[in-house]
Amino acid sequence: MKFQLLSYFKVFFVLYISSFAFSANSSGVLEPSANLKTNKPPQLRIQLWHQMIYGHRQVLSEALRQYEKENPGLVIQETYRETEELRSGFQAAAMGGSGPELVYGPSDQIGPFAAMNIIRPLDDIFTSDLFSKFDPLATPIYQGHHYMLGGVVGNHLMLIYNKKILDRPPQNSDELIEIGKNFTIDEDGDGKIDRYGLVFNYTEPFFFAPFISAYGDSLMTADGKPNLNTLGLKKTFQFILDLRDKYKIIPKECDYETANALFKQGKAAMLINGDWSWGDYKDAKIDFGIARIPLISETKKWPSPLVGTAGYSLNINMRSPEHLRAAVNVMKYLTSEKIQLLFTEKVGVLPSLLALRSNPLIKENSLLQISVNIMEVGSPMPVIPEARAVWDSLRIQYQKLLAGSVTPEEAARDAQKMSESQIHDMNEILQPDFSALILKLFIMIGGLWLCWASRGSIVSFIKGFHGPQRFVYFMMLPAFIGIFAVIIYPFFYNIAISFSNFSLRTFQDWSIIGVRNYIDALTDARIYALFGKTIIWTVVNVFFHVTIGVFLAVIINQTMPVKGFWRTLFIIPWAVPQYITALTWRGMFNQEYGPINIFLQKYLHLSPVQWLSQPFTAFAACILTNVWLGFPFMMIVALGGLQSIPHSLYEAAFLDRANAWQRFKHITLPLLMPVMVPAALLGCIWTFNNLNIVWLVSNAGEPGDQTHILVSYVYKAAFNLYRYGYAAAVSVLIFLILVLWSLGSLLSQYKKETK
Amino acid sequence: MIKKILAWLSILLFAVFSIYPMLYVLSVSLRGDNAFQSHSLEIFTANSTVKNFYTLLWETDFLIWMRNSLFISTVTTLLGVSFASTSAYALSRYRFRGRNMMLFSLLATQMFPSTMLILPFYIILSKLHLIDNFWGLFIIYSSTALPFCVWQMKSYYDTVPKELEEAALLDGCSQWMTFYKIILPISSPALVITALFSFMSSWSEYVIAAVVLQDPQLYTLPLGLRSFQASLATQWGLYAAGALIVCVPVLILFISISRYLVSGLTMGSVKG
Repeated sequence: MKFQLLSYFKVFFVLYISSFAFSANSSGVLEPSANLKTNKPPQLRIQLWHQMIYGHRQVLSEALRQYEKENPGLVIQETYRETEELRSGFQAAAMGGSGPELVYGPSDQIGPFAAMNIIRPLDDIFTSDLFSKFDPLATPIYQGHHYMLGGVVGNHLMLIYNKKILDRPPQNSDELIEIGKNFTIDEDGDGKIDRYGLVFNYTEPFFFAPFISAYGDSLMTADGKPNLNTLGLKKTFQFILDLRDKYKIIPKECDYETANALFKQGKAAMLINGDWSWGDYKDAKIDFGIARIPLISETKKWPSPLVGTAGYSLNINMRSPEHLRAAVNVMKYLTSEKIQLLFTEKVGVLPSLLALRSNPLIKENSLLQISVNIMEVGSPMPVIPEARAVWDSLRIQYQKLLAGSVTPEEAARDAQKMSESQIHDMNEILQPDFSALILKLFIMIGGLWLCWASRGSIVSFIKGFHGPQRFVYFMMLPAFIGIFAVIIYPFFYNIAISFSNFSLRTFQDWSIIGVRNYIDALTDARIYALFGKTIIWTVVNVFFHVTIGVFLAVIINQTMPVKGFWRTLFIIPWAVPQYITALTWRGMFNQEYGPINIFLQKYLHLSPVQWLSQPFTAFAACILTNVWLGFPFMMIVALGGLQSIPHSLYEAAFLDRANAWQRFKHITLPLLMPVMVPAALLGCIWTFNNLNIVWLVSNAGEPGDQTHILVSYVYKAAFNLYRYGYAAAVSVLIFLILVLWSLGSLLSQYKKETK
Repeated sequence: MIKKILAWLSILLFAVFSIYPMLYVLSVSLRGDNAFQSHSLEIFTANSTVKNFYTLLWETDFLIWMRNSLFISTVTTLLGVSFASTSAYALSRYRFRGRNMMLFSLLATQMFPSTMLILPFYIILSKLHLIDNFWGLFIIYSSTALPFCVWQMKSYYDTVPKELEEAALLDGCSQWMTFYKIILPISSPALVITALFSFMSSWSEYVIAAVVLQDPQLYTLPLGLRSFQASLATQWGLYAAGALIVCVPVLILFISISRYLVSGLTMGSVKG
């Protein structure tokens, strides 16, 4: 039997290798340089990373294949990345000295990229009269230079209304509320709203930002400072709260997907969304109209949606001048009249070339004409990197406000404070201090001492290859070389940057500055709060994993027929990849469409729970998800342990008239312990460091950064706020905590066993 | 009797808990266009359609991603099993200097937040020209799965009586032959578990793959599925259909080896 199994593997392997032997050469799977070996003229490969949505991707691909046909010898490879991933991926790639020649994305990414010096200024490459052909919005300027050529203009929010329900959009906010009230109806009288007046992704600051200017203030001052502690912002906060609580015309919880879905099903009269969503509604056969977001009656001002562009930038790293030339040509082609018209025709976006505005395709497109009219009240999307800190602080405080934790006044004040400190952290270039010197000395002396102290071991290690224990060496080495090659370098690299000033402003040339990051981390009260929360997270999760696991194992082992069937059934959660689990549960917790709430309403007649917009329930949702995916492992371990308990013990206990609980307590539990303790230990380590679930279920810490555990906080600090040095310092602290804790528990277990 | 009813009730309750989420994914995948949005709790409705599965298989690169994922996971599994089985044997059977240190350092590799390793991984791989190359993934995946696999194999070897090898050595077997011909076949339950773990860790890994692979032709399944998930326009139907299909091979693997699962996952139950 055992032998058979091994030979299965062999057959499997041979099949695989042979099936790939054919495909490998043709597609260049294993040899990316395969095309160099053929006799064709040398090919030039240009890479383009983009974040276009599905429909746009098809058009891009069509345009690029056309270009390849016209330019033989040139291959353009477009890669889709989700916006945030594109950002962090491009940073990592450019940092490693490579990356795609061209990167396409929204205009606000040029600020961070330019500050990191990983994209090229375009002023020397294109003449100024080329720029003047574009809508100024499509050629954003950062610190006096052009960095992007936009292919479209827009990305702005507007009021979209269902013409079947509403014949005329509201003109001002009073009308909006009036109409909203009329159309927010509970049709069957079960206490649950069946149709809403207005829906939109109002928990996201981008979607409520237009109102701030209508109340007379802007998010940032003209010189790029945050401007959040304003009357306008407080009034806007109150306005949204009123829409939700006083007039009750928007749902209690509404993310983008929910808003979109309600509108597409005709269950919402009005929606605030951007121009990118039109295609979706056309496909869903909704007869819709668009209009400006209604005038605020109190101030007589129009809400001002942010208008941006999405366009192409050039990587600072180019493999050769030919690559640069080719990339520039591709960029020109993709922003040319022909391609812009193609995009307009296929997906209905507004071209950025001014000459095209009089083209019949645009003139006769009523949607685009109204869209241009809406844009007139818009304001340009801020591109400076500081904007990210403003958005982030605003999002956090705003979501706290919506969850009822703070008042509008507090939220505005705290958002201002927070954004100032975030901008300070982001822009600060830490200077080496005294500790840097000590540290360097310490490392030097430590290194020398280590060499000296281990000289004996190294010699005996090398001698060992010829000694009697040679066999052990050859058995051990392959695995350890692998592990250390892959883990050790990154590990020391992280320790190094934890002592450095690696951040947004020092992306390309960081230096060791000492223990500042550690001091920052250890004096931050938030870290301790997060640490406490991580412990709760770990303990609760592992507790449920182990108890559910043992409980099921005992029942299956003792009373269930067809043990194999039940075992397999309960393994399912383990077999599902974590990212699928996380997104599935997020869907299940959805307030409007999630089966959990539907179940609560239909069968228990409870009111729906806003799972994901309250800090406590959101965290509970994360825990429930993680409990789901973790208990099968413990169950299997426990089943293994149960099988090794001799049956005679139970028979003896039965004769002694021990009841079920006594049998469990005095036989099963003590004999399971040696199996469950190591498993629980490992479970604790995994759970402590489990980023996926918290990050994906709570959508990066929502609401208001209140669901973070330590690892997700580290991830955010590094990849969203560019504080790599600080993030590395916190990870080293996490590592130390876990090492000390597990050493401690291993030792105490060892002591128990030797007693 | 009451006890039996209670046992059945709780088992059924947990059974619902453990399979409902997958049934939910199934119902989303069958809903056609407006996949995500429904107020009904039914899984199969009159409007159920396999359109999403059809689109997924014939109009996207799903099969290519599937092939890539299978290939990567298989190679990773083979590498992982062969390295883990040998070094765990040495750790289990021989006492040498630094053994405890090595065992603990294996555990310690699980303790560093893996997200912070992405940037250095990228730097190494691009220096070695392993970006857009499966070799980069083979190396990283098999090494990151190794610590657990070694630990797990070692616990199993610890339960194998030493007398077996002593007898074989007396009969004139070399150390390698003893290991290969006697210990390895006995340990097949643990080998299977190790293989399963290596397979799963590479099958569902997303973050590193996103860094290493840039050519869509080389994408693995998680990367491919993610591309249905644009920030503001997720194609839930395709995503759900893909998610279901991704789970199938792992489930088949689990079911086919489930009888090894219980005996193979020892976690150091008995001291050797």
